[in-house]
Amino acid sequence: MKVMLVGMNHRSAPVEVRERVAVDDVTPALTKLLASSEIDEGILLSTCNRTEVVVVTRSPDAARLRLQSFFRRDLADEGEAIGPEELGDFLYEYADAEAIGHLLRVASSLDSMVVGEPQILGQAKAAYAAAVDCGASGPILNRIYQAAFATAKRVRTETRIAERPVSLARVAVDLAKQIFEDLENKRALMVGAGEMIEMAMRSLRGAGLEEIAVANRTVANAESLAAEFGATAHGLDELPELMTGADVVLSCIGGDAPVITRAGLAAVLKARRNRPLFVIDLGVPRNVEPELDDLDNVYLYDIDDLADVASTNAKARKQESERAELIVHEECQRLDGWFAALRAAPTIKHLRERVERIRKGEVERALARRSLSDEQRDAVESLTRLIVNKILHAPMTRLKHEAETEEGMAYLEVARILFALDEDEGDA
Amino acid sequence: MIVQLHQLAAALYLAAGLAAGLGLALPLTRLLRVAVAILAVGALIHGFSFSLFHEATPPVPLTDHAAAVSLMAWIAVLFSIVLLARARLLALTALVAPAGFLGTFFAALQLAEPAPTGLAGSGSLPHAHVLLASAGLSLLGVAGLAGALFLVEHRRLKSKRPVRFSTPLPSLEALDRANRVALALGFPLLTLGVASGMLWFESSTGRFWTGSTHETWSAVAWMIYAVLVAARFGTPQGSRRAAASAVCGFVFLFFAVIGVELFA
Repeated sequence: MKVMLVGMNHRSAPVEVRERVAVDDVTPALTKLLASSEIDEGILLSTCNRTEVVVVTRSPDAARLRLQSFFRRDLADEGEAIGPEELGDFLYEYADAEAIGHLLRVASSLDSMVVGEPQILGQAKAAYAAAVDCGASGPILNRIYQAAFATAKRVRTETRIAERPVSLARVAVDLAKQIFEDLENKRALMVGAGEMIEMAMRSLRGAGLEEIAVANRTVANAESLAAEFGATAHGLDELPELMTGADVVLSCIGGDAPVITRAGLAAVLKARRNRPLFVIDLGVPRNVEPELDDLDNVYLYDIDDLADVASTNAKARKQESERAELIVHEECQRLDGWFAALRAAPTIKHLRERVERIRKGEVERALARRSLSDEQRDAVESLTRLIVNKILHAPMTRLKHEAETEEGMAYLEVARILFALDEDEGDA
Repeated sequence: MIVQLHQLAAALYLAAGLAAGLGLALPLTRLLRVAVAILAVGALIHGFSFSLFHEATPPVPLTDHAAAVSLMAWIAVLFSIVLLARARLLALTALVAPAGFLGTFFAALQLAEPAPTGLAGSGSLPHAHVLLASAGLSLLGVAGLAGALFLVEHRRLKSKRPVRFSTPLPSLEALDRANRVALALGFPLLTLGVASGMLWFESSTGRFWTGSTHETWSAVAWMIYAVLVAARFGTPQGSRRAAASAVCGFVFLFFAVIGVELFA
């Protein structure tokens, strides 16, 4: 019995290859994979950064070939099978302990593009749920995935891997929370209507900020963005008035001249009654005069300032990821023991069946030659069974125990030779 | 018994301060909550010790310097606990608890060797004066501590340095609010303390104003605070200036009311 994992991610394959094997609904592909006789269990995870399939198989060689064809034919769009040369070295493959370790790292977000990002755990849970729903996940993958989720939880609670934001939008929200007690009753002014503004609006909304105004040179663009977020749309000529009521100003608009100047803001400071103002300038060239930062209640961060904070946070996350790797290692060791014991189970079962067959045969032969009462026959049965159990107890306990160690496989091999279990299998 | 209870309260305040410091440094929000709980237990024991003042032989008057300092520390801790419960100001424990420890520890040392109070008088006026002035001074002290933390945070945000602690430090807005509330409550109490002090002097000496060092410095400090409070609530003063004023004002007030008495 072997656990095998085949997949590609943002490190092993470029996006043009990843997008060809990415699927939204994993169930049809998984059902097709499980129809193969060499696959006993399987789970398929497909996100924008990775597509991986993990299977349990009793025929590793056949399963390997099947998984290759799964990526080339089943995952590729209909009629667009990928040739083996196109897949090249993009696929990676792990088996047993390595595969389990990889799954634990993925669920714990240690293998993600942004280490510590929380989405991957949800995606892994969704992949597992889909596999359970279509009956693709069995006892072995159930156990491994439960361990992966428990490991991810440990990593999240015992390290601070996800505490510090690393995206510019989330860094801006984090800084806003250091200035304002509660973002829910604050007002934001977005200057511009591009993609960055849209991302920032999403983050601010996520942080609870409800009142947002969008100001842009082309009011129509502001209107379409504002409509999406339930915000209000304005032209740039309304900036002074909007600045009076705003608590957070985020600007990312084209043009060479700053749209927010120190003189302009100083003119509305009195009307603002010196309330603190957080200004985020994501524009290049800058949209906000740097001298604005000289004002007492104005906190100005440009794109480089935010990037510096994000980079410091990323370094802190990297340090935390080293602690997280230790947790993953611990959990892997725990699973290794279970997995090894699982491999010992067929040998132990085989050994018991063989000895029982011998006992039964010899007892039947001996009793056939003697006329014994039912009571005497029962006594002989009990006695022989007791002797067999006593003889097998020590080697079986030892096998179970040793199976969890590094030399476990050697012990199992010796047991199979000593008791001629493989010959027995051939005979059967 | 009073001294032992003071020592125990001081030890708990110190433990709360250490736990809060560790909670910030590690950082562990849970440890900060533990610090607040320790602070609350310390405040309970501290409060209980006051109920024994009149049972002591001889009874300890509130006009005793040590008792007054102890009362100030206790009110400051109590007010901070109320603030901590209402706003995200857990980190303030790291400043309030050591301040509470210093006040209570000093009081415990002094109470062990009681000295006759320099102020004479009887009735409710002396107690009203000490109680009101202590409460005012405590609240203005909390305003000063919140102001100090505001200035540190303001400086960090202006210098664009990433936060060293990932335990949420109080936001500038929360610190400013704590400062405003403490000032709004503390100054009227201080004013009532000064007024009751003048009435007390009048009842014992026949004059409202005797020109003593304590009276002069207290009056100057009150006037300075009156200007600061007028600036804070009468004009759209920036939060940084308000925080700096609260820190400077309290340093002066502490020197004027306590320092002058201690070092005279």
